[in-house]
Amino acid sequence: MGFEIISLTAFGLVIIGLAAYGYKISAKTAEDYMLAGRTIGVVVMFFFVLFAISSSWTFYGFPGMLYLHGPGYVFFIWGSVAGFAALYMFLGPRLWALAKINRFLSPVEALAERYESKGLRMVLALSILAFIVPYVGIQPLGVGAGFQALTGLPTIWGATYTVILLVVLVLLGGMRIVAWVNIFLGAVYVTALLGSLIWIVQAAVPGGLPGAAERLMEIDPQLLTTPGPFGEFSPVLVAGTFVVGLLAFSWPHVVIGAMTARDKHLFKWFPLLVFVFGGLFFYIIPFIWGSLAAPSIIPPAELAERAAAAGSTLEIEADRVVQTIITWRLPGWFGVFVLMGVVAAAVSTAAVQLMTSSIIVARDVVQGIFKPDASDKQITTWARWSVIVIVVLSLTVSIIDTGLMALYLTDVSIPGFAQWAPALVGGLLWKRGTREGAIAGTAVGVIYLALGLLITPGGSRVLLLDLHPIVPTLLVNLIVYVVVSLLTPEPSEEIHTQFFDEVDEFLRSES
Amino acid sequence: MREIMGHTAGRVYLAVLLLSIVAMIAFIVTGGLETPAGEEPFLLFGWMTMSLVAGAIFVIVWLIAYLIYFFRFWPYR
Repeated sequence: MGFEIISLTAFGLVIIGLAAYGYKISAKTAEDYMLAGRTIGVVVMFFFVLFAISSSWTFYGFPGMLYLHGPGYVFFIWGSVAGFAALYMFLGPRLWALAKINRFLSPVEALAERYESKGLRMVLALSILAFIVPYVGIQPLGVGAGFQALTGLPTIWGATYTVILLVVLVLLGGMRIVAWVNIFLGAVYVTALLGSLIWIVQAAVPGGLPGAAERLMEIDPQLLTTPGPFGEFSPVLVAGTFVVGLLAFSWPHVVIGAMTARDKHLFKWFPLLVFVFGGLFFYIIPFIWGSLAAPSIIPPAELAERAAAAGSTLEIEADRVVQTIITWRLPGWFGVFVLMGVVAAAVSTAAVQLMTSSIIVARDVVQGIFKPDASDKQITTWARWSVIVIVVLSLTVSIIDTGLMALYLTDVSIPGFAQWAPALVGGLLWKRGTREGAIAGTAVGVIYLALGLLITPGGSRVLLLDLHPIVPTLLVNLIVYVVVSLLTPEPSEEIHTQFFDEVDEFLRSES
Repeated sequence: MREIMGHTAGRVYLAVLLLSIVAMIAFIVTGGLETPAGEEPFLLFGWMTMSLVAGAIFVIVWLIAYLIYFFRFWPYR
């Protein structure tokens, strides 16, 4: 136990030291704190964004779902790879140019100005916060589960450790240091994830990956195909999961990343890293872990027995099966290193989500609605201190709602994030999109999603027609946005000039 | 994206990406991932499942289309 505590304390001190250094060298302006002074280059941006989206979910929820239900869930990743690339290919350059020309500090601010509406600013800010805040809380709890699997300590210990790191990092560092620390955290994370896979395959999977597949053929061939052992991933659900992944372009904490870019060339190179490093390498590692290595070492039936003996459930144990196997089959010191990787994954994601949330609170809610004449220093101060409120709120919500990690991401957060997609895409690309359309579409989509998730007689999501939550809600949102926009007066010529013509001109001329 | 829609190469690029999405959904919905009754699951090189192979092909199609368009035709390159 002593070794684990000392190692994790040293790891935490490195992160806190980096945050303190970031505070010392920062320019102390709102633009520097919130958008890293718009100076992030392509390599830092890639790792910043990759590890912002690769949370403890990549270590627990994703392989846990593959472990239980076979490989069908990986289509969320294939969709996400395309979605993230699409953000940087299609929306990123315009959003970045628009924000740079007009000194916008948040994407919500940019859309509120585009649609000339404070009401929309409030609707977008509150709906994004409502869906991002609970997801922030899942990260510390994910680490807590890993702590428990490794050390036997209650979940709250690991969660508290992670929260302290998060708050210090975001309070002191701001976006630039969050981005730079993500590279350090990402290096630990990739090493732990890949290293553990290579080691476990050598140590515990005779015959390597083909040997693992042969073993699964003996245990249950359905583990190697869809719909999986429980018949869960029907073709319709797999297709829906793929579409949910495609909507990754609307994740607010990823969208804001595009606004920190140094120049337009970033948008030319960034997708290359997404496809090659993200799609064809990084996400294959947890896929192999969850769909091949883990079930061949501990078959699901055996894990179910262990879960029953421990008073747990198969679903909960599946979420932490990777950590359990590492603790069981590899040396203790390596288990600690892997837990550092999980902490790195959780902190790298939650820090960016916290930054995004605090920017929206300070810039869009407090300054945008209540105190328009706030100074640069005041905005930065509000952003910093809202971090603590958001962390407390997010942890509370996550503890109350103890849903499965993977399902929370795909069933609640992502459908929620997607509700601002029509207003975002239309605002950047469609001159005819109007304020009334954006407000009506977003409000209808969010209300429909909330009611659909809350009203479940007999466990059935009747209002959502038992489809994936994103499908009916986004469709209704989109239809309302387009129809109301076409029925209301077109935006003024000044808006066309500021948000379309000037942006085109800037992107053509900027080098 | 407005600049991509504004010329032929861009429209071809978008059509390729859209077609790849439609093809992937059609492949999934028509049961392309499932194993026919009585047969063994598809495994490439003894371990790569159909879900992995289909997804990797999808990403490679996007990668090739992106490389050609963004490095030869993108107006802001």
